[in-house]
Amino acid sequence: MEEKIILSHGDGGKFTSTLINELFYKYYGNEILLKGGDSAVFSVKTRRRLAFSTDSFVIKPLFFQGGDIGKLAVCGTINDLAVSGAKPLYLSAGFIIEEGFSIGDLEVIVRSMGDICRETGTMIITGDTKVVEKGDADGLFINTAGVGVIENRYMPKKIKNGDRIIITGSIAEHGTAITLERYKIKAAGSFGSDCGSVYNIISSLAPFYKGIKLMRDPTRGGVAAALNEISALAGKGIRIYENLIPIRKEVIAVCNILGLDPLYLASEGRAILAVDPSMSHEILKCIRSCENGKDASIIGSFCDSCSNLVYLETEVGGRRLLNTLEAPMLPRIC
Amino acid sequence: MYKAELVKSIINKIQQSCIEKLNIMEVCGTHTHAVSRSGIRSLLPPNIVLLSGPGCPVCVTEEGLIDAAVEILKKDIILAAFGDMVRVRGSSESISDQLHKRKNIFIVYSPLDCLDLARNNPDKQVVFLAAGFETTAPGIALAVKLAYKENLHNLSFLTSLKLMPPVLHSILREKQKKIHGLICPGHVAAVMGAGYFRFVAGEYGINAAVCGFEPLDIASGLLFLTEKISSGTEAAFANLYESCVREEGNETARKIMMQVFDIADGNWRGIGEIKESSLVLKEKYCCFDALKKFNIRPHKFADNMQCNCSDVILGNIMPYECRLFGKACTPQKPAGPCMISSEGSCSAYYKYWEAGI
Repeated sequence: MEEKIILSHGDGGKFTSTLINELFYKYYGNEILLKGGDSAVFSVKTRRRLAFSTDSFVIKPLFFQGGDIGKLAVCGTINDLAVSGAKPLYLSAGFIIEEGFSIGDLEVIVRSMGDICRETGTMIITGDTKVVEKGDADGLFINTAGVGVIENRYMPKKIKNGDRIIITGSIAEHGTAITLERYKIKAAGSFGSDCGSVYNIISSLAPFYKGIKLMRDPTRGGVAAALNEISALAGKGIRIYENLIPIRKEVIAVCNILGLDPLYLASEGRAILAVDPSMSHEILKCIRSCENGKDASIIGSFCDSCSNLVYLETEVGGRRLLNTLEAPMLPRIC
Repeated sequence: MYKAELVKSIINKIQQSCIEKLNIMEVCGTHTHAVSRSGIRSLLPPNIVLLSGPGCPVCVTEEGLIDAAVEILKKDIILAAFGDMVRVRGSSESISDQLHKRKNIFIVYSPLDCLDLARNNPDKQVVFLAAGFETTAPGIALAVKLAYKENLHNLSFLTSLKLMPPVLHSILREKQKKIHGLICPGHVAAVMGAGYFRFVAGEYGINAAVCGFEPLDIASGLLFLTEKISSGTEAAFANLYESCVREEGNETARKIMMQVFDIADGNWRGIGEIKESSLVLKEKYCCFDALKKFNIRPHKFADNMQCNCSDVILGNIMPYECRLFGKACTPQKPAGPCMISSEGSCSAYYKYWEAGI
């Protein structure tokens, strides 16, 4: 194969089929995909409802500590399905590649997508590749879409005051990893992204589905945005306790240096759950028994004195609003 | 005792000890932000009013300089800037408005990153928008010195470096009766020394403390000030950030700074010209002056602000007393620099403050 992507890799001819056979089939390989039809044809033997989600990934840099754009693209859609209460089944993957992109890099990305599919029991069953002229895209963009079967139908309207908020792990690690790469900051310590699937945690919670009323993944806009979405859906205010939020010391240190607020930085392998207080401790115990959930914590609850807003009770006992982010965060001067 | 408990007990003490109305100014934007973020603001009794000061570099960078940067960007050059400088508006446009049109803008965290940009792009001119106070000046000075040593002809600096004492003099001269205490910026003092701020107590009879930026540092500072003010004794000054601040500061940093820069009159956004309040490149390094290199003369007109940012940074009004606050001026559509910078007082109040909590 060539070393770099050329325009012919996207023209549907010989180069395209080499790319499909030697890269995509090799790492995604499954019965439905390998039929090579214009559509992937599959049956879903269920009377349950289906969930369908799509997301595009344009992240810079493409490779970061703890993952790459491929892993992120697969986990992103799996997690969107999982927090909607669905078991993720089938995915599509669309690539827009800039002419001149390294095929070696593409292989690493495609391989990590295949690895995540195998780990999570999902399959990429259809895809598309387009190559655009140099300068018309920034390296590589990936779109994934996914279908899943609903296992848990939540009832956000049944959320009542006193229901607990649980987060499945420490926050802001993806956002911190990306920031360090983007600004090329050399910091000692481990700063890997938390990028990963949360479906293993959610499926382990099957015995408690009745007590789970809503889930969200705190990606763009971080925990603050996710909590505000949950508050709006439930029509209730939320009070969060700063000292209960799991966050690694290294993440706090980097955020302090750059002037970033970790509550607004993305996680890519965490979920926030609204749960019935009578089951919250069992749910927490179950999440903590998963490898990627051992730092899970109950961080707050719905409250009637919060007038439909999200508040943070600070470590020193003060109170402040936790709004959604209104403008992009940029590192400060001093 | 656990830190949070210690802060709580200090704040309890402040609540008990303080009966009269006190205006305390936190000079630096990072302090304003930390006071809100830690929730200390919500715990203080209503008679302690915290006023924001002029210590946010983004807020006081003059429009003319941003216009000059936008002008230079029209040429085939690379512009590097600190993160929060790119959103600040000149007379009509900001650098981030140009971000969508061009790809030659880099956000850097360290001034030394500009050296790499220049080395890696020998066929391009690289301009660094070098704004800040005594905090960023030594790093920028080091970058200038290294560029000189390496003969990096394709690097230049668009400087807007300001000094703290002259602006404090101008505020305290007018405000002597209204400001009862001053929280002095710990990071400026780390470079210049605690002694740099002693004049606040000595010349103006105003109690002052150099503080760090953790909730415990700030609470300790507030307790020191409220106790001293309440006691009515002679104005006192203290360095409460001894872990980072020495009396004489960081000699190396100061030396580098003064090797590269001369002190000159400076133009402060919303305030106007203040004598001997800025740092400009010495004659020896004038070949690194971007204004000279690109033959641009920044206009010196009165800043055309519709909002009351200037009154906010002079401690005359609270951010929410500005008629545009939260209506025509939000972080998404900022009308003035205090809302643009994440360290700006209006942005801190908008993000964290809500009436009645």
